[in-house]
Amino acid sequence: MRYVLKSIGAFAVLAVLVGGISQGSAHHSASMFDFTKMQKLKGKVVEMRWVNPHVTITINGAASGEEAPAEWLMETTSPGNLTRVGGWRRDVIKPGDEIEVTFHPLREPDKKQGLLREMKVLSTGEVYPANIRDQEKPGLE
Amino acid sequence: MFSSGEMRVKSGLIGIASAALFAVLLAPSIATAQAPKKAPAVINPPPTAQDWADLAKLPDWSGVWNPKISDQDAQVRSNPPPWNEEAAKKVAHMFAEEKAGRPTLIFGNCLPEAHPSWMLVTHNAMEILFTPGRVTMLGESDGNRLRRIYTDGRGHPESSDPTFHGHSIGHWEGDTLVVDTVDIVPQAPLAISEAVGLPNNGDMHVIERIHLADKDILHDDLEIIAPHLLTKPWKTTRIFFRQRARKFDIVEGVCATGDLVERVNADGDHVFVPVQKSEWGHTTAVPAK
Repeated sequence: MRYVLKSIGAFAVLAVLVGGISQGSAHHSASMFDFTKMQKLKGKVVEMRWVNPHVTITINGAASGEEAPAEWLMETTSPGNLTRVGGWRRDVIKPGDEIEVTFHPLREPDKKQGLLREMKVLSTGEVYPANIRDQEKPGLE
Repeated sequence: MFSSGEMRVKSGLIGIASAALFAVLLAPSIATAQAPKKAPAVINPPPTAQDWADLAKLPDWSGVWNPKISDQDAQVRSNPPPWNEEAAKKVAHMFAEEKAGRPTLIFGNCLPEAHPSWMLVTHNAMEILFTPGRVTMLGESDGNRLRRIYTDGRGHPESSDPTFHGHSIGHWEGDTLVVDTVDIVPQAPLAISEAVGLPNNGDMHVIERIHLADKDILHDDLEIIAPHLLTKPWKTTRIFFRQRARKFDIVEGVCATGDLVERVNADGDHVFVPVQKSEWGHTTAVPAK
């Protein structure tokens, strides 16, 4: 416990105390997501937040045939990284577009959240990867 | 003419007046001799045409530099810092927490990653500008990733004024920029990943040799001296690769917008409202439109 308190910043401790809402975060590890699992989800774009450091996409869809559609929240990397690794743009999707996302789900069960691996825009069939470790070479075009 | 009594009074008065006049005349020099001498202001000279021309002789570090994240990952295991005993225990715990899905949020409050962690673990692009007497590094996420490296021959200041990126002075050895940085705030983490790192706790000193390793590959050879964390200096090379395509130009990224979403309020005004985030930093809920 001592090590936990010493290593977590004071603000994070406060965030836990106020019920887990942390403000002013920056880059964070993705280990809260389960990298042993990969899921797919088809749905309609509710909203994309094209923000640094982590873009998010809210989708209304069902992960499996039996589930009723619900809102899922995908998180991914920064706009600059997405542009490099997947050809993303701010206007790559808009609310109402039908997409299919491939993602690692959150470890916490029954929370409809995921770390995005790739997105497919169904109207065009175009696939947009989202792995920051892709395209690690200079002189890309 | 005067009686001796009158003479004595008159002498006394003259004496007092002379003494007073003497004191008035002497006062400024006495005052100056006692007050500390004000040091002449140091002026940064305006650059000359030659100064600007000399920049063309420097190596080409233009363009957008992406960090090689896969190498950052590899070095977590292949090149760990020589942590002292206390630091090693904390680091082990942070690894365990991350593995358990509870990664420590080292970089919170939208504060800069700071030096040297920006160089060590950033996932964002940067650009490097040359102006007379200075090399300036600008990071993608916020104006709070900004390093000013003074190459005008100055030394480190005598008085301490700690900052997130420290005070950096540099000089060129051929095509290598040698940088010496001190006076970094003690809160700045020495991080080896986004979830593993510790506050340096003061007295950190970073020496860098920054140079092109290939046409479009930049190496930052760092030597990090952190006496409160490490048993000896830690050496690591961090790799950056260059993009020139315009679509990769760095776009402004304001860290705080990671905690906000765009909405239109009841008055029709465009505003930002907070989203919900976990203690580990990921977004957990976005308020409905």
